Order: sequence, then C-alpha cells, then structure tokens
Amino acid sequence: MNLSQFNRILAQTLLLPVLALAFVSSILVWQVRSAQRTVTTIQVSDQGIAAATRAEKLIVDEESGLRGYQLTGDRQFLQPYHDAAAPLAETLTLLRRTLIAQNESPRRVDAITEAEKSWRISFAEPMIAGIPSGWDTRNVPLNLAGKRQMDELRQRVADVLDRESDMRGREIVNWRKQVDHTIVVLVFLVLAVGVFISVFTVSRLRRVSEAYQGTLDGLRRHAQATFESEERLRTTLTSIGDAVIVCDVEGRVEMLNTVAQELTGWKQAEAFRKPLEEVFHIVNESTRDRVENPVAKVRRLKGVVGLANHTVLIRRDGSEININDSGAPIRDRTSALSGVVLVFRDITQERQAQNALLASEKLAVAGRLAATIAHEIHNPLDSVANLLYLLKEETDPVTSDHFLHLAQQELDRIGQVSRAMLGLYREAKSPVEVNVREMIDSVLVLFDRQFKDAEIKVKCSVVENLEVRGFPAELRQVLTNLIANATDAATPGGTVAIEARRATPADAGPSGPRTGIVIQVSDNGGGIEPLALERIFEPFFTTKGEGGTGLGLWVSRGIIEKHGGTITITSNVGRDDHGTSVTIFLPVTGPPPAQA
Amino acid sequence: MGLQVRKLILERSGYTVLTALDGATGLTMFNDHSIDAVVLDYSMPGMHGGEVAAKMRESKPHVPILLLSAYMGLPAEITRLVNVYMTKGEGAPALLQKLKGLFEE
Repeated sequence: MNLSQFNRILAQTLLLPVLALAFVSSILVWQVRSAQRTVTTIQVSDQGIAAATRAEKLIVDEESGLRGYQLTGDRQFLQPYHDAAAPLAETLTLLRRTLIAQNESPRRVDAITEAEKSWRISFAEPMIAGIPSGWDTRNVPLNLAGKRQMDELRQRVADVLDRESDMRGREIVNWRKQVDHTIVVLVFLVLAVGVFISVFTVSRLRRVSEAYQGTLDGLRRHAQATFESEERLRTTLTSIGDAVIVCDVEGRVEMLNTVAQELTGWKQAEAFRKPLEEVFHIVNESTRDRVENPVAKVRRLKGVVGLANHTVLIRRDGSEININDSGAPIRDRTSALSGVVLVFRDITQERQAQNALLASEKLAVAGRLAATIAHEIHNPLDSVANLLYLLKEETDPVTSDHFLHLAQQELDRIGQVSRAMLGLYREAKSPVEVNVREMIDSVLVLFDRQFKDAEIKVKCSVVENLEVRGFPAELRQVLTNLIANATDAATPGGTVAIEARRATPADAGPSGPRTGIVIQVSDNGGGIEPLALERIFEPFFTTKGEGGTGLGLWVSRGIIEKHGGTITITSNVGRDDHGTSVTIFLPVTGPPPAQA
Repeated sequence: MGLQVRKLILERSGYTVLTALDGATGLTMFNDHSIDAVVLDYSMPGMHGGEVAAKMRESKPHVPILLLSAYMGLPAEITRLVNVYMTKGEGAPALLQKLKGLFEE
C-alpha cells in the first residue's frame, strides 16, 4: 500500500460517517417537520375550542343579561347582554377562520351566527323594547319560543366544540404515532448507520492493517536477509586465506580478519580505532624506510594500489615477515571514499622458495658453464704446458721467443676468461654504470668454443659508449641465459644475432617512453610453438626436456624487472621464416630506488 | 693454437703429423692416407671426437686411436671405441708415452 492509497482510505473513513450522519439528520428533520405540522394542527384545534368555549360563555352572558332585565326591569342588568355582542361577533369570526384553516366548512359557524341573530331579533330585542311598555316578561309561550331558540343555539355551539375536540383528539393520536414512528425510524437508522460505519471502518482498517503487516513482514524479511548477507560476508572475510584489514577514511582500523590478526599480532579489540600505521607497520626490506601508508596511497591515487615489492611487516612482537599486498578504496553510494580495504599475505616462505630457486638456477648456470670453463681454461692451459715442454729442449733463441709469445697469448686468454667468470658471480651492493659492449663481450668470450663446435655464426652489433645503471653480475647472468638459449636453438650451423642500441619511443614499455637501452638476442632456430611461448616465462617450464632447468627465463625476467625494465619474446615457427627474438628494455636510470 | 703446438711436439719426437681442423677433414685424410695412429680431440666443430672415432673404426678398425679431451668422465660408449683416452691436463710427456705404447702393442 502506498501513501496515496492510505490517504484515500483515510478520506473514506472520515467522509462516509459524515455522509451517513447527514442522511440520518435529514430523515430526522423530515420527521420533526411532520410532527411540527401535526402540532400546528393541534394548536389550531385548541384555538377553535377556545373560540367556541368563549362564544358559549358570551351567549350565556347575553342570555343572563336579558334574563336579569326581564326579572328586574332595571336596564343596568342589560349590561352583560350589550357587552357580549361585539366580542361574540369577533369570536365567531375567529372561529369561522379557524374552521376554514382546518379545511372545514364554515357553515356550522354561520349557523351559530344565524341562530344567535335569530334569537336576538325574534326574542331578545322585542323583549328589551317591550319591557318598558309593560310586556308580560313571564309570558310562557314567548319565553318557551326564546328558550327553544337559545337551546338550538347552544346545541350548535356544542356541536362545533365537540367536533373541534374530536379533531384535536385525533391529531394528538396522530402526533403520538408520528413520534413513535420517528423514534423507531431513528433507532433503526442509527443502528443501521452505526453497523455500516463499523463494518466499513473495520474493513478499511483491516486493509490498512494488512498493508502494515505486509510492510512489517517485508521489513523483517529484509532485515533478516541483510543480517544473513552481512554474516556471510563477515564469515567470508574471516575465513578468507589472505589477511584483510578494513580502515575508515581517516585510516583508523575498523576490522581485522583472523589471518590479519595472526600476521600483525594485534587482536581485533585491541586494534579497533587505532591508526593503521600502528597496527600495520611496514618498511622496505632493504632500506628499512617506512613504506607509504596504503590508505594515504589509495586516497592519493584514487584507485586500487599494490604495495611496493620487498615490503616487510613488523609484527607487534617485533618479528618480521615478507608480505605482498594491495589496497582498494571502499566507496559509498555517492562514490565518495568511505574507507580502504587492505589485503595481504605472508610471502616469507614463498620468498625463501624463490631465493632457493634463484640459487639453484645460479648453480645450474654454473654447471652449464663448467663445460665452457673446461675448454676455455683447460685448452689454453694445455697449450701453455706443451709450449713449456718444447721450450725446455729448444736451443734456438728466436724459436724460444716465439714459444714464449704464444704461451703469453694463451695465458692472456685464460686471464680474460677467468675475469669473465668472476664477473658472473661477483655481487655488487648497489647499481653501477655498466658498459654494455664490455658486458656483452665478456659473456661472448665464454661461448667462443661452443659457437665454434656448433658452427654457429655470431652477428654482434653494439652501439659504442652505451651505458646503463645496474648490477653487472645479474645482467651478465641474463645475457648468458639468452645467448645459451639462442645457441641451443641455432645448433647446428645457425646464426645468433646480438644487438644493443639506445631505445627509441617505439620501444617504450607499458609505463610510457623512457630513456633506456634495448638489447636484442635473436636466433634463426626452429622457433617456439605459440602454446609454449605463452608459458615461456613460467618457472620450471622448458622446451629443452632434460637439458633445461626451466628457470633461465623466469630468473632473467625477475632480474630485468628488478632493474625497472621489461623483457619480451617473439617467435616464429614458419617454414621459411623461423626463429626467436628476445628483447630487453633497460632504463638508463637503473633499478628504482626502493631496490637499491 | 693447441693443434699447432701439439703437432710440433709430435714432430720433434720423430712422428710425421697430418692435422685437420674438424672431423670431416680428418676423416677424408684418414681414408686417403696410410695412417699408423690417430690423436683425436673430443671437442671439434661439427662432429665430436666420438663420432669421428666411430666412423674411423668402420673403415679401418685396426688403426689405434688416442682420444684427448678437456672433459673429465666421457661416456663409456665413447671411450670404449678408442684405444687410449686421456685428458688434456696430463701434459706432453704423458701423451708421448701413451702414443709410443700404441705402437708397441
């Protein structure tokens, strides 16, 4: 039920009783009017009775006055007779009007007037005129005639009086009936209207009540659903495998899930409303500088942020764990920032495993190079030993000098190889300027024998004075990996091309154009199938079967990314145009400061 | 360089020495000339010493072969093919002595 429906029902329940009561009132008014009319009729009858009674009295006054004069002959006794004449005429006129008002014939009043007039003219007036001249007032026939006339007159007045009384009686009965009727009608109507209003109001109220109940049920269900959904989310957050911290917009902790409590060492109740920095104390692994508060970072960048690599969480008890995390904004309905959620996990073991893998890859590289060492050092050493053997028995100083010169050449070569080998494993503490040509040459020297044995043609094109900041040992490791892969692919008799140049805008990586260098190692081997190419940077993925560890490219990518660069691979397995090309982009600025 | 020095040592010991820079040339030379013994390097462009030795055994199985290698521990199926197998670090006197031994057999 919406508000307009509710308002309609409210109007109905208010208006309908008013209409019903107005109906009852109109019936009542009609009934009362009808009764009033009857009362008026009764009043007219009363007026008639009063007039008739007065006429009767006035006639008696006339007769009494005449009779007194008859007895005494004194005219003073005639006073009532004369006084009654005018009121009687008035009274009879009133009576006549009353009868007309009652829709009765006025003939009865006219008859009274006639009879009174007849009595007066034929009996009273002659008697009054005759008494001074000596009429016999006791004359019986004359008096009998007068008495008959008077009796008739009285009878006529009595008739009118009776008739009026009868009429009044009837009207009173009628009025009583009307009153009874009105009472009955009123009681019935009041009951009917009452019942109707009750039934109607109840039905309306029931509808409102049902709608209210429905709304209430809906609200209850909604509340239950909200509660369940909230519980489910809470359970999900609590039982999720990663640590989750929810902060308000000011960066105060609102919630930590179970894993977050374990990792930080803070209990939910203790951490609640504490500043995030206190609970989630993170520093850079190598510099030990505080890492920017993720809430501030999310607010600054207005989006999902990942933490810098090599972040260490210092737990409440002071112990440290490597973590990997991200922060995301929580937005309200108006898209305004209402909080920040941090998700992180303990990668200490992952890091240890990764370090173990890196170490094992270094060992594998060392193993692969052992064969090279055997040739590159052992062969010249063998020549030197042989030359010394010849020198011992040589007597010609010119030949001896030649042998010594040859031996010196071989020793120089050994020195060169040995320096290259040492360079491969010497760890620099901080990035240094690396001359790209020197670096490439120092790696190629180790492959000399392998190129010869596999009859591989090497094309090397390096721009002079090309320098980049970085860790030379690691960059050599990458080059060794790439050249070894290219050599394996190009064996036998193929071509390996190494190119190094300054980056052009076309080489820009996903982070936009930067000043840097590009090193590309290509071969014209069989190429890599697209399915294998997709997985080529995954650890333990190799196309060389037992011959490879599957770690070379994975480690190489790690090193290049650590230097802030990118590594990409393209390959073609076409019949005429096949081969693989790996391109490295390195920014001249070297690794980001956090890595230093 | 190693090849030239080794040739000089062998010549000074009285041998007539033919040299080849890779296996294929060596095999041609081996088939075209009357060869008394072969000093073979394991690591060579194109074909390695093991393959060359196998081909030589097919054409002239009686010619003794001395295999030289910078690698330690070559597989048995390769060392089995040759009469003597030695590593390069052993020096010139050892080479001459083992070569002499081949002729005395």
